[in-house]
Amino acid sequence: MLNCKVNGKEIKVKQGTLVIDAIKQADYDVAHYCYHPGLSVAGVCRLCMVKIGDNPRLQIACNTPVQEGMEISNEDEQVKDAVKWGLDFHLINHPLDCPICDQAGECELQIQYMKFGQYDPEMAEKKVKKRKVVDLGSKIVLDTERCILCSRCVRFTDEVSKTNELGIFNRGDRSEVGTFEDKPLENDYALNTVDICPVGALTSKDFRFRQRVWYLKNQSTICTGCSTGCNVKVYYNEEGLFRVKPEFNEDINGYWMCDQGRDVYKFVNKDFRLLEAQSVTEGQAEPLSAGKAAQLAGEKLKELTKVNGPESVGVVVTGQYTNEEYESLFDYMVNKLKVKNIYHWVNNSDTMDDFDGLLLRGDKNPNTYGLKEIMKKYSIQTNMSDLEGAIKSNTIKTIVVAGPENQAVYPDFNERASLFSQASNLIWFSAGPVSAATSKHTLVIPTKTYAEKSGTYVNYKGTHQSSHKVTTIVRGALSLSDSVTLMSGESILTKPVGPQKAMKTNFFVNKSGEL
Amino acid sequence: MEAFSDDILVFIKKECSRYETRRSAIIPCLYKLQEKRGWISPEQIGQLAVAMDIPPVQINEVMKFYTMFNQQPVGKLHVQVCNNISCTMNGSRELTDHLCKTFNVKSGEVSSDGRVTVSKVECLGSCDTAPMMQINDEYYENLTPESATKIIEKLGK
Amino acid sequence: MAEVKIITEHYDKDEFISLEGYKKFDGYKMLKKAFKMSPQQIIDEVKSSGLRGRGGAGFPTGVKWGFLPDNGEERYLLCNADEGEPGTFKDRKMMERAPHQLIEGMIISAFAVNSHKGYIYIRGEYSYAAKVLEQAIKEAYDAGLLGKNILDSGFDFDLDIYRGAGAYICGEETGMISSLEGLKGQPKLKPPFPAIKGYLGKPTIVNNVETLASVIYILRDGVDGYRKYGTEKSAGTKLFSVSGNINKPGTYEVPLGYPLMDLINNECGGLKPGRKLKAVIPGGSSAPVLTAEECQKANMDYESLAQLGSMLGSGAVIIIDDSNCMVDMLNVIMHFYHHESCGQCTPCREGTGWLHKVVSSISSGTGRLQDIDLVDEVASRMMGRTICALSDAAAMPARAFIQKFRNEFEFYVREGRSKVKGVTDAQL
Repeated sequence: MLNCKVNGKEIKVKQGTLVIDAIKQADYDVAHYCYHPGLSVAGVCRLCMVKIGDNPRLQIACNTPVQEGMEISNEDEQVKDAVKWGLDFHLINHPLDCPICDQAGECELQIQYMKFGQYDPEMAEKKVKKRKVVDLGSKIVLDTERCILCSRCVRFTDEVSKTNELGIFNRGDRSEVGTFEDKPLENDYALNTVDICPVGALTSKDFRFRQRVWYLKNQSTICTGCSTGCNVKVYYNEEGLFRVKPEFNEDINGYWMCDQGRDVYKFVNKDFRLLEAQSVTEGQAEPLSAGKAAQLAGEKLKELTKVNGPESVGVVVTGQYTNEEYESLFDYMVNKLKVKNIYHWVNNSDTMDDFDGLLLRGDKNPNTYGLKEIMKKYSIQTNMSDLEGAIKSNTIKTIVVAGPENQAVYPDFNERASLFSQASNLIWFSAGPVSAATSKHTLVIPTKTYAEKSGTYVNYKGTHQSSHKVTTIVRGALSLSDSVTLMSGESILTKPVGPQKAMKTNFFVNKSGEL
Repeated sequence: MEAFSDDILVFIKKECSRYETRRSAIIPCLYKLQEKRGWISPEQIGQLAVAMDIPPVQINEVMKFYTMFNQQPVGKLHVQVCNNISCTMNGSRELTDHLCKTFNVKSGEVSSDGRVTVSKVECLGSCDTAPMMQINDEYYENLTPESATKIIEKLGK
Repeated sequence: MAEVKIITEHYDKDEFISLEGYKKFDGYKMLKKAFKMSPQQIIDEVKSSGLRGRGGAGFPTGVKWGFLPDNGEERYLLCNADEGEPGTFKDRKMMERAPHQLIEGMIISAFAVNSHKGYIYIRGEYSYAAKVLEQAIKEAYDAGLLGKNILDSGFDFDLDIYRGAGAYICGEETGMISSLEGLKGQPKLKPPFPAIKGYLGKPTIVNNVETLASVIYILRDGVDGYRKYGTEKSAGTKLFSVSGNINKPGTYEVPLGYPLMDLINNECGGLKPGRKLKAVIPGGSSAPVLTAEECQKANMDYESLAQLGSMLGSGAVIIIDDSNCMVDMLNVIMHFYHHESCGQCTPCREGTGWLHKVVSSISSGTGRLQDIDLVDEVASRMMGRTICALSDAAAMPARAFIQKFRNEFEFYVREGRSKVKGVTDAQL
């Protein structure tokens, strides 16, 4: 450990710590645009100026490692002047289109001007004009005029995604960020460039113009898009979820996440959800509340196991639930109902072990590991392929499905659903509608999605991560645990289902490549 | 789009192994491409990227950084008149204006017959012989508007 | 005192260009001498000679060589022949008139710093000089002066030439390294300095053409012989590129410390008849301008010019007589830096453009009185804030012009026309 002083405050930092991180560690603000801890040091924005000891030449904090006894100041008048002017240099050619800029509210130019600037601008000359609204494919729009040339995005495609799409062309104040011949920026991690862009130069087509960021709240949770379990922040309001951004976790995802994971929020919103339970008997559908449906399911299962024996019940479970949910389901099935025919529904066995070398994994379930652990705990050794025969031979007459909340990553969804429908009784827990569930007696019960419940997911390497409830989207949906409680005949405190409000649809979501 | 000729491909291959790193061959290869037509098109950048196995964006960055690479067609005679300090003091602005008028072009544009481009450039390191111009690769020094016109007309024949 | 031709002694002879001719005048003799010395002895000699980098910064060459780490890594010796500082043309002359002098200087220096690979990075516009050098390198290889086991010394050195393609910034040593590595010629963050991590991350020495050639004469004349010319802190002779409003512009080799007015009046034949000296830029366009009065006291060495608030720079002396408008001249200079800023660091990228726009609006008659102070204010905030010195190089002349010729700027703003030329820049 090294001792140093930041603005007079004594702190200890690890060997190799950069001055910029030491300043943050000491709880002081430091102006900067180009520095990003997940990228190489560029040292070009020249804002993180500090005075070190009595060296009259200011240094940049991002390229200076702390040395023992170092006295660092970023509150010195000389530093303040440098930062103020540094901001002005950034702003003299920046267009004043904040009212129509999607970054407004979380723009580092605005934030840092309020913190470190607040001067009267003296620039009276014409601003440099550059290209606006450059279409970079299905995900991203570029405004080169807003760009402050911090080079974060260029370093990202160079160092992290290693796809090398972005570059900075020309010299001096004619410099312009872009791709070669405006080729689309379509790599699997492209939207990270939008996150790290400190200004409104790179914006996400999915999020653009949908919400002003000050109308959004955010909450940390776990991405359920694959078995990596990236730590993310979900941005939402009462209308639903709007976007997902990565949150730093050194052991899991570093600073990044993949673009597929950013789409995971979409099935959470009401448009894609099952809003209430449905009981279908011989083609006759009848809506009912989830709680009522769960109680009904419990009574049915009790009856059926008594009449046909526990062997006549098959339970199909996907790797999309939390450990806590598995625990209550297995306890109920195995201990209470003595049902041991529990099957693991693997959605894409061929690509299950794929890995792109960075974050993206072929196992599109957040908790395959957790499911396998619980099956081991209950000594369940079954094979999904045996289920088909058992249904066809009528050995299994009743199927209970803990289905996927993200149906899009289950390519065999409809095929499986029609197989399960061959059993005479089908009880399906699902976050979204299951139109292919057409058994003689079908009960579909709405479940909560990852964003609506707290619980534990175990990622591909066995790391247990707690995920926190973000918000409630479908008020009538139940977690699997709550359903099991109700099925057992016990009661939970449920809120009455209120009227469902339709969510605004995003014009841009499904119009890839169009502006 | 015209494919690279064999001599260009041989050149690229040779330059790629000439230096410690393949990227160092970008500038020499861009010079080679410019030799034939006087400028480099985006298609050529794309082709060069494939031939060198270097992302096109990196070649594009290099090409657009250096002023000697022309991103647009230039005249057969690319007349570059130095307009820096010593040349300005010795009449380079008047010289440039005279040449533009004589060959009926605006600075930086190609004449309608495609023969001449007159452009203003920064210091060419020939300040003791100001004013001066560079036509393609050659320096012409101690000019007057009349002598410069004569040189261009002679070369244009 | 007068011109002292040490480096340039044989520049008037065409035969000096060829290997055969060069050898006739003791060419490569000092290389043989060097091989009889130890590398450390050569470094010590260069250190004691007081030789300072001739490219612009004036850093002691021997000290620079001493920064190389002793870690067994391969080292590179790069010759900076990207002569781009407006007003400078002495390196071009050297390469065109004496290519073997540079090659010999490089082999000796490479031997001293134990480098086996060197490049001459020459600006793209110097295609003639590049051809001359290429031919000379070929001759040297054929004669066993380059390549393996040079002159049976057991020392290997390969030398190649690399052409830039039009970017002033590549004259900055780390910009040059970036360019040689096939990147945009943008300067790199320092530390680490090139001597520690340079070309491809390997220890690298970058020296100017004139610096490398000077090494030959340090060996020839010895430390005392070399120090016979120049001052205590600015030793030896130096090549000056003189241009502007002067009767005999050209390259002149004089001892450092030579009075500026002597250079103007004796070597360069004085000003045009009827003209009065108004100002001199003593070290290339980046050097703060000197008034005629200051010129009387100016000696051409690092210290004397620093004392006057200017610098020796690359030794480009630009003579300005009273027919010139200083507003107009500053506009030309600001155009240059605006054009050449690499765009990396914000204060330089935006500042050079801002300065150029403001000065340009003054020189088109639409400036405001507060613009004059604004130029100084903006320029002062561009100094010492960036990766390389281009930002300072743009700011320094801006500040000096405003400070020393303020009345011309004020006149221009008030009257909307040049005090000297009577009309605006656009009307000329």
